[in-house]
Amino acid sequence: MSVDAVSRRQRDTYLIFIALCVFTFINLTPLIWAVLTSLKDPRDAFTIPPTIIFEPTLEYHYEVWFENDFFRYLKNSLIISLGTVLVSVPAGSLAAYALSRIPRRSAGPILSALFTIRMFPHMLLAIPFFVMGTFLGMIDTYPLLILALVAINQPFTIWLMHGFFLEIPRDLDEAAAIDGCTSWQAFRIVILPLARPGMTVAALFSLLLSYNEFLFALVLTGTTTKTLPVAIASFGGEDISAWSLSAAGAIGIMLPIVLVMLVLQRHLVRGLTAGAVKG
Amino acid sequence: MAPLTVRQATKSFGSVQVLHGVDVDIEDGEFVVLVGPSGCGKSTLLRLIAGLEDITSGDILIDGKVVSRLHPKDRDIAMVFQSYALYPHMTVAENMGFSLRMRDVGKSEQDRKVREAAGILGLTDLLDRYPRQLSGGQRQRVAMGRAIVRDPKVFLFDEPLSNLDAKLRVQMRAEIRELQKALRTTIVYVTHDQIEAMTMADKIVVMRDGRVEQIGSPLELYDRPANMFVGGFIGSPAMNLLHGRVSEDGRSFTTDDGADIAFSEAVSPAPGRQAVLGLRPEDFTIADGGTPATIRLIEPTGADLLINFDLGGEPITALFHERLALREGETVGLSVPSNKVHFFDPDSGARIE
Amino acid sequence: MVRWQRGLWLFFLPSFGLLAVVLLWPLGYAIYLSFFDYYLGSDARTFIGLGNYADLLSETRLWRSMWTTMLIAFGSVGLEFVVGFALALALYRLHRSAKVFSVLLFLPHIVTPVVAALFLKWMLASNWGFIDATLLTFNIEPQDWLGSPFWAKVSVILADAWVFTPLIMMVLYAALQGLDTSLIEAAQIDGASNWRILRHVIIPSLIPAIIFTISVRLMDVFRFFDIIYVLTGGGPGTATETITMYTYQLGFRMLEVGKASALGVITLVLVAALLLAINRTLNKTYRGGDR
Ligand SMILES: Nc1ncnc2c1ncn2[C@@H]1O[C@H](COP(=O)(O)OP(=O)(O)OP(=O)(O)O)[C@@H](O)[C@H]1O
Ligand SMILES: [Mg+2]
Repeated sequence: MSVDAVSRRQRDTYLIFIALCVFTFINLTPLIWAVLTSLKDPRDAFTIPPTIIFEPTLEYHYEVWFENDFFRYLKNSLIISLGTVLVSVPAGSLAAYALSRIPRRSAGPILSALFTIRMFPHMLLAIPFFVMGTFLGMIDTYPLLILALVAINQPFTIWLMHGFFLEIPRDLDEAAAIDGCTSWQAFRIVILPLARPGMTVAALFSLLLSYNEFLFALVLTGTTTKTLPVAIASFGGEDISAWSLSAAGAIGIMLPIVLVMLVLQRHLVRGLTAGAVKG
Repeated sequence: MAPLTVRQATKSFGSVQVLHGVDVDIEDGEFVVLVGPSGCGKSTLLRLIAGLEDITSGDILIDGKVVSRLHPKDRDIAMVFQSYALYPHMTVAENMGFSLRMRDVGKSEQDRKVREAAGILGLTDLLDRYPRQLSGGQRQRVAMGRAIVRDPKVFLFDEPLSNLDAKLRVQMRAEIRELQKALRTTIVYVTHDQIEAMTMADKIVVMRDGRVEQIGSPLELYDRPANMFVGGFIGSPAMNLLHGRVSEDGRSFTTDDGADIAFSEAVSPAPGRQAVLGLRPEDFTIADGGTPATIRLIEPTGADLLINFDLGGEPITALFHERLALREGETVGLSVPSNKVHFFDPDSGARIE
Repeated sequence: MVRWQRGLWLFFLPSFGLLAVVLLWPLGYAIYLSFFDYYLGSDARTFIGLGNYADLLSETRLWRSMWTTMLIAFGSVGLEFVVGFALALALYRLHRSAKVFSVLLFLPHIVTPVVAALFLKWMLASNWGFIDATLLTFNIEPQDWLGSPFWAKVSVILADAWVFTPLIMMVLYAALQGLDTSLIEAAQIDGASNWRILRHVIIPSLIPAIIFTISVRLMDVFRFFDIIYVLTGGGPGTATETITMYTYQLGFRMLEVGKASALGVITLVLVAALLLAINRTLNKTYRGGDR
């Protein structure tokens, strides 16, 4: 390549860099705006032109968590997310392991069936859950929502874990069999410790999925088991005088996710293609 | 330490038949090597013996007991994998002791046996390391250690040395052989390296396309290959195979290209018969009265001299252990002792006596 | 299966047992309900066969919601794809700084959808929202972003794009990184223009990833709920009411669970048809790609 072409390439790269900076900034405006709002007094929140420079206050962050029950909703969210993970990931790992070890011609149809199930309209599942929950008096209990979330989470967990198990060489299963293991022993003693990083990833993705879930949480919870997304949606969406407060809540809900995402960064694409994050 | 018998074993993967009725008898304490070209079914046979694949028909007997339907763990075998298949999350000691642990051997007994095996293999200092902290050769040793701790009836090796460099390979070859002599266990060893086969085996099984071509001791196979395939496969450089006809008096052979090769004495196949003549490169001598051949290429390896000849249009490879003063382009006389020639049937490939 | 591994079938039991109880059984129950005129809360439950389906299919509201779904689906997926692909290419070009950008650009996707929708609502809200407040500063009369039927649709599409473009960007970016760079270098040496390289080298090798993302996104639109719920609630009127929103209204607001189930089943059939069509294309392209 000529010197000219190289310098032109470099210039292009700079242009792309600048364009990306601008785009990223615009793209993040809603987020930045929400952060600013959460730090504003309503006096600063309702102004034309919008106030950019103001004296920030953490008052609303404090208020939303300590005076508005958000800790209770957080507790609900955590119980439900962890419950889902504890049911979904072990069961899913077992199935995924078996799936990765049976002949491909048997595994193929099962995988496609799971993929199809993943495409289910959730509404179609929400209705029977709601009706049966009503009959059984289980609306507004943890188990009902956990089961519903397991239902939408299970195919994804199996898909994701299947990929991880495929990466563990089958030689190890065979060596274990020869060394005297039954399938269960081989799984528990040899394979599972090796699959632990994969299981962690699957668990975090499942956690994220259940933490973010809205539809089932909306229709299956009530005052005692309300989760954070339901709480924030009903909280200040309408009433503008509560803007600062609900912005503080929203930011609070978002923060743990950002942390989890930083941990998961390396595995993000894999989780995405298996359908994590946004069920 | 037990005899092993494979009786009429066949194996199909779906509609593809990979083994076509294999019979092998292995005596107690014998070192048997399976050789053959890639894809001939060596690994498949080994895995049938191990129980990692289901036998389609036929039987496997270990110590006189039919084990064809048993789980691998119940066959009392040990296997060394080409990839070694060490458990990455266990230390060397844990890897080696794993089979004992699974068989509920007491902790102190486990420890004793692991130490003993580690001593034999020179692994004592490495017992606390993890496989990822070992070199290829050390991993190989651990894989063997894992097999010998248990003192199984039969050892199975699937190309255990193919991931090592040439030097280490030679060394491990000798070590495995010595180990076998010391432990006197039955070993089935798969390789496609025929030097490994020749140097290690008590008995070699040559396979091709899912069939056994010949079973015998290394020297039997070398001296009296049962057919053209075995003749060409065993020995390096490979045997020269020339198509042609035995003369009426039985004292010479005329190749299809018209070159005449004279023998010092009359040879056994019927005079006038069409045959394939097999000549080992190392059996040639240079003699004035020999068949004239032109030197195409001289490849000195240091120890030996490898020479490519043109013998009446046929390319011939010959190997000499002395340093001959020859030049490329020169024509010399080649001769072969008549007791070192092999004849095969051109159609069936079978040896002609 | 090989004899010694037969025990593996037992490993499927917990998972498939769960799926049967929490997925297949409810699904069967929903299909069963769809044949009844059933108002949750009343004791009466009348079997009306395909009555609910007939009712629904003759309703303008259903057809309108389908039309809205399609509009939002193709509008947002088209937008997401174009922007996502452009971003992926830009990231691919940058190498070093790409990592920081990809994390920042990915944020909107990882945020809880409800929260993301709220963020957007505070941008779009009339008068005090960031956009209106900014426009009013310059004395420009803003549109009613969430209140006018047209702009509400646009807002919903933009919201969907804001949340899902990062997904497409990431998947395509990953696919680009898996690309064989020697192909591109060879084309550069041959003096091909950037556009031609994109058109003839890059895009063809990305086709599986492209089809994957587009199809997954198209099907996701049938589950698109939280964002619309928070942003417009399906309004104004029924301007942004998708099938999903309509099902929600039927089932959980009017409690007509029989009819809502029927609508759910109709959605399922639609999604299945879509899935089948995409599968066909997928297979065809894959076979075409084998050459
Ligand atoms: N699981 C399987 N499914 C289908 N075909 C198989 C399977 N395993 C092996 N084969 C086929 O069986 C034949 C024999 O394979 P095998 O692995 O036994 O060869 P090999 O002699 O060990 O060769 P190599 O020296 O390359 O290891 C091959 O043609 C292979 O393609
Ligand atoms: Mg092999």
